[in-house]
Amino acid sequence: MELKFNATILAQMVHFILLLILLRLVAYKPILRILEERQKYIAANIEAAEQQRLEAERIREQFEAEMRRAREKADEIIQQATRAGEEQARQIIAQAREEATRLKESALQEIQMERERAMAELKEQVANLSVLVAGRILKEAITMDTQRRLVRDFIDEAARYVQ
Amino acid sequence: MKRATLVTLLGLLLVFVALTVTGCGENFSIERVEHDLNIWGIPHEPWHLGRIGGFNLDLNPATIIFTWVAMALTLLLCVAAARGADMRRPSKLACLIEMVFDFLRGLVDESLGPKKGAGLYTLIFTYFLFITVANLLGLVPTAMAPTADHQTTFGLALITFAMMYVWGIRYKGARYFKHYLEPYPFFLPITIIEDLAKPLTLAFRLFGNMKGKEVMILALLGLITGVAEVAGGFLASVLWLAFGVFVSFIQAFVFTMLSIAYISMAVSEEH
Repeated sequence: MELKFNATILAQMVHFILLLILLRLVAYKPILRILEERQKYIAANIEAAEQQRLEAERIREQFEAEMRRAREKADEIIQQATRAGEEQARQIIAQAREEATRLKESALQEIQMERERAMAELKEQVANLSVLVAGRILKEAITMDTQRRLVRDFIDEAARYVQ
Repeated sequence: MKRATLVTLLGLLLVFVALTVTGCGENFSIERVEHDLNIWGIPHEPWHLGRIGGFNLDLNPATIIFTWVAMALTLLLCVAAARGADMRRPSKLACLIEMVFDFLRGLVDESLGPKKGAGLYTLIFTYFLFITVANLLGLVPTAMAPTADHQTTFGLALITFAMMYVWGIRYKGARYFKHYLEPYPFFLPITIIEDLAKPLTLAFRLFGNMKGKEVMILALLGLITGVAEVAGGFLASVLWLAFGVFVSFIQAFVFTMLSIAYISMAVSEEH
């Protein structure tokens, strides 16, 4: 079989170039456009995802910092409250102690006064009784005033002795 | 299961024996089969379109007609793919074409780099698609592969040959021709032969494979003349057709791949 060439070879080249041009118009451009679009879309998506990741990281850090700050603040508040509570307790105790002291003192004072009053009354009673008894016994031997003076002196002496 | 395999194997052996015993097709002639298959009435004689400047303008009718068919099918495929193309939900065909395109683009980028290769995408893509469709057309009964005509393959190879020069001169300028004188000027004849061998081998490889495939198909069809030969010829024919699909793709890919390689060699700097 010998190789014979005729115009078919030229026709085939023209056919191929024609097909090339047609395919370029019909297929190549849309397909390349779609491929590029998809590539761009994917790249944009990846970019967006990266951005969002960074954003999320940033928010997380911010959140953590806020949490830390809140916790510190809470600790501080608790400490402050504890301190205040202790202070108040101390104050209350001191106040109570003072009050108790005051009450005791006033009670003592009252007791003293009461005792003095009782003593005075007793003195009076004893003097009267003594005067009465002495008067009965002595029967007008001495005057009433003299007697009273004598008895009071005696009682005063006795009281001093008692005290 | 094992028994079924055994029976099939035995049957095949029997068919083979019958085939050899009956003698493979007595009055067998490829020309006759070819003639019988030509139901479209395509003339064997070339068309004469007149003479231009002492040159006969003759065309091979079958080659031209089936080239048109292959072109139409390629275009149809691409139009359908382009119509289904979508960024988010591409159709299956569009996906396939995109994959092929992406794959070929990857090959071009790998050997030429995206900058120099960008202009070649269409050419390479068209090479692969057109040659595949043309090759597969040869498997269709009564049709012929346009690539089984040496004029088609030479035409395609000449385009690659021209592209080698176009790309070489475009990216290297006059320096491109320096590679003929390397490593020594007296290698000039060898380098010229080397250059010419590239399109020649490209064309003959594709043509030989496709012509061989076609002749085999015709021969196997020609064997189907009697009862025994129907079994033998038919089975062999089916197997050969399956192999033909494989060869069609492989040869289209080889042509495409070698075109990329040759053009990238013309462009590459380390010569």
